[in-house]
Amino acid sequence: MSAAVAVAVLVAGGVFLLLQRGLVRVTLGFVLLSNAANLVLVASGGMSRRVAPLIGTGPTEDMADPLPQAFVLTAIVISFGITVYLFSLARSGRDDDTEDDP
Amino acid sequence: MLHRRLGRDTGWVLAVGFLVLAAMFAATAPAVVHGEVIEAAWPWLPSIDASLRLRLDGLSLLFALVILGVGALVMAYCARYLGRGSHVWLYTLMTLFGLSMLLLVLADDVLLLFAAWELTTLCSFLLIGGTHARAAPAAMRALFTTALGGLALLAGLVLLSVHTGTTRLSAILSDPTAADGSAVTTTALVLVIAAAATKSAQLPFHFWLPDAMVAATPVSAYLHAAAMVKAGIYLLMRFSDAYGDDPLWSGTLIALGLVTAIVGAVLALKQHDLKALLAYSTISQLGLLVALTGVGTAVALAAAAVHVLAHALFKATLFMLVGIIDHQVGSRDIRELTGLRRVMPVTAALTGLSALSLAGIPPLLGYVSKEEMYKAFVESPGPGWAVAAGIAGVVAAAALTFAYGFRIFVGAFGGTTEQWRLREPSPAFLAPAAVAAAAGLVLGVAASSLSPLIEGAAVTASGHGTETHLKLWPGLSPELGMTLATFAIGAALFLGRDPVDRFLQRLRAPVEGRTAFDRSRDAAVSAGSRIAALTERGRPVRHLPVPLLALVAIAAAYAVTGADVSPPPESSRGADWILVAVLAVTVAAAVSRRSRLGAVVAVGLSGFTVAMWYLNAGAPDLAVTQALFEIMIVVVAVIVLRALPRRFHRVGRGRVAGSAALAVGVGVAAGAAVYQLTGHRDRSAVADYLLEHTKPETGGVNAVNAILVDFRALDTLGEITVLAAAALGVIALGDRTRPRSPRAGEPDTADTLLVLDALRRVLMPVFAVVSIFLLLRGHYGPGGGFIGGLVAGGALALARLAQPPTGEPALPPVERRLLSSGLIVAVGAGLSALAAAEPFLKPLHAALDVAGLHLSLSTSLVFDLGVYLIVLGVVAAALNRLAHHEVDLPERDRAVEPAR
Repeated sequence: MSAAVAVAVLVAGGVFLLLQRGLVRVTLGFVLLSNAANLVLVASGGMSRRVAPLIGTGPTEDMADPLPQAFVLTAIVISFGITVYLFSLARSGRDDDTEDDP
Repeated sequence: MLHRRLGRDTGWVLAVGFLVLAAMFAATAPAVVHGEVIEAAWPWLPSIDASLRLRLDGLSLLFALVILGVGALVMAYCARYLGRGSHVWLYTLMTLFGLSMLLLVLADDVLLLFAAWELTTLCSFLLIGGTHARAAPAAMRALFTTALGGLALLAGLVLLSVHTGTTRLSAILSDPTAADGSAVTTTALVLVIAAAATKSAQLPFHFWLPDAMVAATPVSAYLHAAAMVKAGIYLLMRFSDAYGDDPLWSGTLIALGLVTAIVGAVLALKQHDLKALLAYSTISQLGLLVALTGVGTAVALAAAAVHVLAHALFKATLFMLVGIIDHQVGSRDIRELTGLRRVMPVTAALTGLSALSLAGIPPLLGYVSKEEMYKAFVESPGPGWAVAAGIAGVVAAAALTFAYGFRIFVGAFGGTTEQWRLREPSPAFLAPAAVAAAAGLVLGVAASSLSPLIEGAAVTASGHGTETHLKLWPGLSPELGMTLATFAIGAALFLGRDPVDRFLQRLRAPVEGRTAFDRSRDAAVSAGSRIAALTERGRPVRHLPVPLLALVAIAAAYAVTGADVSPPPESSRGADWILVAVLAVTVAAAVSRRSRLGAVVAVGLSGFTVAMWYLNAGAPDLAVTQALFEIMIVVVAVIVLRALPRRFHRVGRGRVAGSAALAVGVGVAAGAAVYQLTGHRDRSAVADYLLEHTKPETGGVNAVNAILVDFRALDTLGEITVLAAAALGVIALGDRTRPRSPRAGEPDTADTLLVLDALRRVLMPVFAVVSIFLLLRGHYGPGGGFIGGLVAGGALALARLAQPPTGEPALPPVERRLLSSGLIVAVGAGLSALAAAEPFLKPLHAALDVAGLHLSLSTSLVFDLGVYLIVLGVVAAALNRLAHHEVDLPERDRAVEPAR
């Protein structure tokens, strides 16, 4: 339930920013949306077991699913790469972002 | 390489190569013409039972010899036609063209056949378009038309192979169900005819062939005589055995072929440009071949086989000679070429010889093939009126051919000589044309020697035995009467050439194929851009609402109709709700701030909340990565924001309300989906497997890291490649913009910089050591290449922030080196497994005891080092490129900036 609400909050914020003018806001919206997607992935592994998947540090029975975590780890880094790219696009041209509001 | 030494003379070498190949095929002839079949196969796509299957039978042999023989002549001709200089491109393409034609006639697998078919299309496109800019539209027309036919062929072949259950061509054609008259096979039949009609320039697809005349003469010669257009004829002859009895097949082909033959011949008679005349003549001759294939009897197919050979010889000769005449005289207008025999006797003689073969005059091979053709039509099965119409049609086409053939002949010989300065070209230039012309004469006189080859082809094509006796004097027969009628009408047309010419020049086609083609292409292009315009608006707000609304609608529909899933067992804990509350506050701040910095900070805070969430959910690796990632994002955003105005522009109320409503809708839908779709099942079997095998198989403890660098290392390799590509994009964008001086009134004061610089001196070594420690311990605790790389990147970020904003790069430009060395290290680690005869990326382990420390080494650590380097490279690229090259804003923009 809590994961669902967290995803809802992030998606709503992300979509709102995505629909604004200017690539900087769109980029920030993209950051929120990718966080939401990562939360969905983690939630897909189940939220009932929450012991870190480090073998030997706790009961294996209660460990969280490591596979979504591995997905999300690379997803975080890739969305970082894309975010940087979007930011560099945001200021490479002349558009709503480089123009000031009168 | 060969070309560098020999220049244009490469043509000789290639000609010899083609001849050797031809000789190899000829060596098989004695066996093949008697029905033996030589096959070779290599497995290719076993999952769909496709293999590289080649098959040489009588029909393939005839076409292979024509392709290679004419190919050799054309290559030899190239050696003198082309000027001195580099022709690598032309020679390569011509060779590829010939070889793909060869593959086409040898292919015994429908996929291979299609591939070869498309290869010839591509080669001809490049050859036609490769000469000069003016040729581009013609090449495009040829490509579109024949590629359209290629698609028809693919569809037809797929239908047939699904219907018969095999991709093997010979098996399909001998399968009785391939021609069972069902809707599937009838469709396939029509598609095959359409494919052949485009390739062999039948009406109404004929227009691309005369256009293709813009190509260099050797290309035209090859394309018209042996390659490309003959592919369609080959296809029809190949399918003739299976479909010959189908009235739809024979009726369509005979009608199509004869109409094309007559229209093509009329258009040829109308031309004054020799090359255009020959082009329309090719269309007409191909029409005759199509009609013969449609008749489908053994005699007709034998006639078609002879005519393929005869046409190849005289058409190749004529093209080569026209090239020579054009080369020497500088004109191709038939009316200006009079009396050539006095200045260029050899050229004139050869031209005359092949023109007579074209016209069907004994004792040339063109005459032999025409006699066979007449015999085939006289003996054709079918109702009387159809036979009569066929005879009338073929005589009309032949008479027209006679007339324009004679125009070429007389153009070369008759009339007064006006251009006395002309000289005969070098013997080497003439030789290939002479060989082909002589072959037309010799094979005509000794026609009977060809009988076995032709019979072999005809037997293969028709599927039953036949006796073919090619001869010059058929005796008193209906064919003789037809020949005499042809000569009479043709001579009349020729003698009355002035009135005929006036009449023809007034003829206008109701619709020009070329115009129709251009119009339909333009229509397709504009329709495409109209459709694209629906989604390409430059701003997401113009097109995003549609899919987003659709998403909300789907979710709503699901909630109304199909929400029978019981709620999952509750797994929330008290701490979750605190985090959700913090998340809500930060996200609300992120969307409502008008200050750019404020929005960035709010997004960063929400990211840290997400990191806390990961920690809370049992994912320490993710928490660390997410936290570092947020630091980086904020640093990059701050650097970017320096170049931009401080505040976002105002947003209208309506827009806020609209996007807020949509955002809430999508958010609720996403949340509901997550609630309904997760948490129902127990931990997955994969997870259990991974948790169980991490320790024994990788020697590590951290299951997440083990997945990244060991179990699913190939995925990770793909991901870091994507990352490196994104970084290269940033570098490229940075290179395009000019450096810019920092904004006036920069808030950074010398004092804060001093503090940061002091911090940097202390912290940078610490960061470096920590990052390497994290990299090394990835297998045992939270850490690894991604995290270590981000920490090292943090050191760079600190250095960058501490630096006064002078526009100088903070670091030496090492990012490219970091990215490439990272990829090399990662791939190298994977390849090292190959050296030990293990699969790619399989880690190799070794334990080391150094100074009392037990170190378990593994190539997966080396792989992780590659990941580390790439992540560091991405960070370096972001910091360096974004900070260094700042956008050069006009003075005005900076001046109006409010100093808040």
